[in-house]
Amino acid sequence: MTPEITLENVSKFYGEVLGVNRVSLSIPPGITSLVGPNGAGKTTLMNLMTGLIRPTRGEIRILGHRTDEPEQLFKAVGYCTQYDSFPKGLTGYQFINLYLRLFGYTARLADELAWRAIERANMVDAASRKVAGYSKGMRQRIRLAQALCHEPRVLILDEPLNGLDPLARAEMIVLFRSVASQGCHVIISSHILHEVDMISDQVILLSNGYVVAEGQIHDVRNEIQEHPAQILIRCNRPRELASKLIELEQAVEVRMHPDGLGLLIKTRDADQFYLTLNRLAQNGLEVESVAPADDDVNSVYEYLIGNEGALS
Amino acid sequence: MTPVWWAQIIAVIRLETKKTFFAKRGLWVYLLALMPVVLFLGHAIVVGHQNQARVRLASKNERPLTHQDLAGIANGMTRQEVIQRLGKTPVAYSWDERGDGPNSSRIVVHDTYEYSDGVFELYIRMEGGKVTGTTLGDGETLGEDSMVFAGVFQFFYLRLAVFFGCLGIFMNLFRGELLDKSLHFYFLAPIRRDILMAGKYLAGLVAATVIFTTSTALQIIALAWSVDPNALNAYLYHGHGFADGLSYLGITLLACVGYGSFFLAAGLLFRNPILPAAGVLIWEALNPFLPAVLQKISIIYYLKSLCPVEVPADPGTHPLVALFISNPDPISAPIAIAGVIMVSLLVLFVSSFKVRRMEINYTTE
Repeated sequence: MTPEITLENVSKFYGEVLGVNRVSLSIPPGITSLVGPNGAGKTTLMNLMTGLIRPTRGEIRILGHRTDEPEQLFKAVGYCTQYDSFPKGLTGYQFINLYLRLFGYTARLADELAWRAIERANMVDAASRKVAGYSKGMRQRIRLAQALCHEPRVLILDEPLNGLDPLARAEMIVLFRSVASQGCHVIISSHILHEVDMISDQVILLSNGYVVAEGQIHDVRNEIQEHPAQILIRCNRPRELASKLIELEQAVEVRMHPDGLGLLIKTRDADQFYLTLNRLAQNGLEVESVAPADDDVNSVYEYLIGNEGALS
Repeated sequence: MTPVWWAQIIAVIRLETKKTFFAKRGLWVYLLALMPVVLFLGHAIVVGHQNQARVRLASKNERPLTHQDLAGIANGMTRQEVIQRLGKTPVAYSWDERGDGPNSSRIVVHDTYEYSDGVFELYIRMEGGKVTGTTLGDGETLGEDSMVFAGVFQFFYLRLAVFFGCLGIFMNLFRGELLDKSLHFYFLAPIRRDILMAGKYLAGLVAATVIFTTSTALQIIALAWSVDPNALNAYLYHGHGFADGLSYLGITLLACVGYGSFFLAAGLLFRNPILPAAGVLIWEALNPFLPAVLQKISIIYYLKSLCPVEVPADPGTHPLVALFISNPDPISAPIAIAGVIMVSLLVLFVSSFKVRRMEINYTTE
């Protein structure tokens, strides 16, 4: 069985409206974030991966399974959708338990798995209450528990941190990391870029139904040639360093950091720049730190998508 | 069928049955099922009162009367002859009329006498002391009642109550979940879509069968309530009453099987339930006028043949209406039962293709 999620030339049109177009991806295990503005196609892509909608063109395989074979697919996949609706009249426990009974599990196994998932989502106290009375955050957590309850190897989460308080967000991020560390795929869509940056092993940037970039943030950033790399240097004599750097060929722009304790450099050849900086540092300059200043999702997003759309 | 499929079907039935029985949007189905029960219950209460009135009337006779005594009264008999045969009447009405117009001086005396033997009731009309007319009315007989029941069952209960009840139950199985935006709950489980459809169909069938066969049973009980216990006993156990009752229950079940499959399919194919409901209703109503081949793609075609009592068309009824009422070409019970099941399976089979290709797109609902 292929341990990958693959999409080959996948397109989805809603009548004449484009959902996603010519998407070809190969998603390895780990945490992958789908990033893009409203209408970029994140949810469409997730619904396609789970067979809730069918591609107009192309083929999708999730660990080798076709998406129109739910009996195989959903043994391996758990999907936490954005749909904030539940079967009526159920408690949190019943919601998970009845879902597990649909797998054909015995009552005992379903009960055991349901409680395990409820514990992981930190919902034990509220499990016997009706879902209709839950807060938004609790509903989100019970949906996460449902996605996790059968211990899938692929976890697809559409805006999973929405409605959660900071503590719950941190707990969930730890949970996602622990799932990913077991060699599973965790695919997340999120609009909170610093969280995406913090948790993602790789990102897929979407805009207007097209994949704009994919891969690890650093690699994606390096691919963006038209925007020089930004480097933040902290040192004891920033003005002196600035006067030396401005003469370098690799430096496109040198700016004092607003706090006056460092420099922001833009360069088109970061590797060469680092070598030169090492030489300068040997001449009595005390460099405290050197770090990329735009090697994150936020910057990559800004460079690639810019102001085309506000983040969802 | 694998054991896992059975377990999945049972899980779906468990989830759906509760929802179907207690759905707020399905309350009217109960009302629809209760309507004929109320009708027959009302009938039973009225008939019961009439029977008691006859018994009370009979108890006031000077002497016990038989049916022959009552039937022996004929036009032309005098008041004295009537009293001689039946005794003094317990109930009499009398009024005078000026004979041959308003200026006439002749006064005609009108009398009405009532007698009863406890079951039959005799009305005697007299003018000037002579019998001019009699009406011998009996209580409701089982024969008449069974005919009335057959008419209500075929032309209201099957064609309208069960029909629209099944529409309400089965169309909601998928349509209702799309409106509630909760269908994805099922579509994200490792269950084949056709197995899911089978589970939902069976859940709907359980609910519809319980509601409508209970209603049928209550209608029969209500009808039997007003009947003399001895006559009822004879009809049930020595006549064909018991078999007829079971037939009606079986036909109700088959109607749920048949209409259920149609409306489950309609719920997958149409957003608006009015169009398919009107379409199927017209198709079923037109059934007697369709070519033989098309008649078979219908539920009422088979159910009509299974009805134990045929409703006769009155003489003088328009031929088209008579054709609608009668069943000139009944088929045998085994073929009719197999026919309903085959048509239902065919419809479900076609629906399974639709459900396999179904997408979740709540924004378009």
